[in-house]
Amino acid sequence: MSLSFESYVQALQKEVDVLAGVSPDAPLSGLPQWDSLAILLVISHFEHAYKMTVTGREIRQCKTIRELIQLIPQS
Amino acid sequence: MQITLSHFRLAGLAVSTGADTRDYIKDGLAHGISLAHLERVAKTIGLKERKVASPGVTALDLCEDASRRLLAAMDIDVSTIDAIIFVTQTPDHSQPSNSCLLHGRLGFSKSSFALDLSLGCSGWVYGLYQAGLLCAQGGVGRVLLCSGDTLSRLTNPQDQSMNPLFGDAGSAAIIERTGLNTPWYFLLGTDGKLASSIIVPAGGSRTPASGETRKETKNADSNIQHPENLIMDGAEVFNFSLREVPAAINTVIKNAAWQLSDVDALVLHQANKFIIENIATKCGLKSAHVPSNLVEKYGNQSSASIPAALIEGLGEKLTSRSQKIVGCGFGVGLSWAAFASEMGPVITCPIQPYPKK
Repeated sequence: MSLSFESYVQALQKEVDVLAGVSPDAPLSGLPQWDSLAILLVISHFEHAYKMTVTGREIRQCKTIRELIQLIPQS
Repeated sequence: MQITLSHFRLAGLAVSTGADTRDYIKDGLAHGISLAHLERVAKTIGLKERKVASPGVTALDLCEDASRRLLAAMDIDVSTIDAIIFVTQTPDHSQPSNSCLLHGRLGFSKSSFALDLSLGCSGWVYGLYQAGLLCAQGGVGRVLLCSGDTLSRLTNPQDQSMNPLFGDAGSAAIIERTGLNTPWYFLLGTDGKLASSIIVPAGGSRTPASGETRKETKNADSNIQHPENLIMDGAEVFNFSLREVPAAINTVIKNAAWQLSDVDALVLHQANKFIIENIATKCGLKSAHVPSNLVEKYGNQSSASIPAALIEGLGEKLTSRSQKIVGCGFGVGLSWAAFASEMGPVITCPIQPYPKK
């Protein structure tokens, strides 16, 4: 099963409060609350929604929401 | 390591906390953090208040208070206790050990065994295993197991990512040999390659304390720390917790030949509400009774948090009857330890601050 890009974004924005309303290509580094707590929320979301483990380092390397979504393996 | 022990029981539990109350929102505002940020963190990870030790009070003092209250409540004379195990990483001295100091303070018999275990959040379960082992092999009838730390003093007061998480507490437990073969299923694990993800880098023999080790710097999130502070890679520790803890819990449940629905309560190290809920969801035990709110009253109490969650999270369920309980401690080492057993009724003393105000 493969979801649309938009539905991955919506699911991520629902779980990670500070990403709500942020454009998929906006720089994450510009968000005031893109912090260690936000990273934990991303790890938790990927774990429960996609049964995948993503590390803090991998998340910090992503510059945008689009790059975060690209971490999810496509089946 | 997976091992099954029997012929011992957890007979009594007490926890004493630090006497000073810190308020997460008030302290954060005083450090210039915005209310919106504080409320977001408070809601997501469940922070409200914590209890920290008053100046001069150590983990040894907190455990001594818990021990005295428990021995009085159980009407136990110290001459009947064969061993003391003290789990701590914040001992009074590098030498001698806290277990020997408590032995002297409580007036134990000279023939008793005294041993410290240097572990943090996994330590109570390791201590329970060690106490159970002493009873199971037959030479010991009764063990006093103490565990606790004053971690609030190890974090930098200006480090707003670490300092608000920790409280100070000491626990006491009585473990006794019994004629019953009620099994305890343990799983004990370590991942020493991740040791640096929770660490106090300086102040020990490797890098002794000096003027240099007190020089403060800002980390990636602009939090102020120096090398004698407790530092943690939160994302790494969260990944570790989700990788090892649910697997350990599911293994001890399987070894006990229980179904998930048989479990009356899952009692986890009270790191914070967010981690506890993530672990409970991943191992399929979200619907079981899973205490998760102790951290909002006390902070992360290191190796005293599982005793606190047993006392206050289970309440009269633990004091009145036998329950199928699964527990797991996890943290610094990195180290983890899980158990599954039918336990109770257990005599408990209410969680109380020391010194009493």
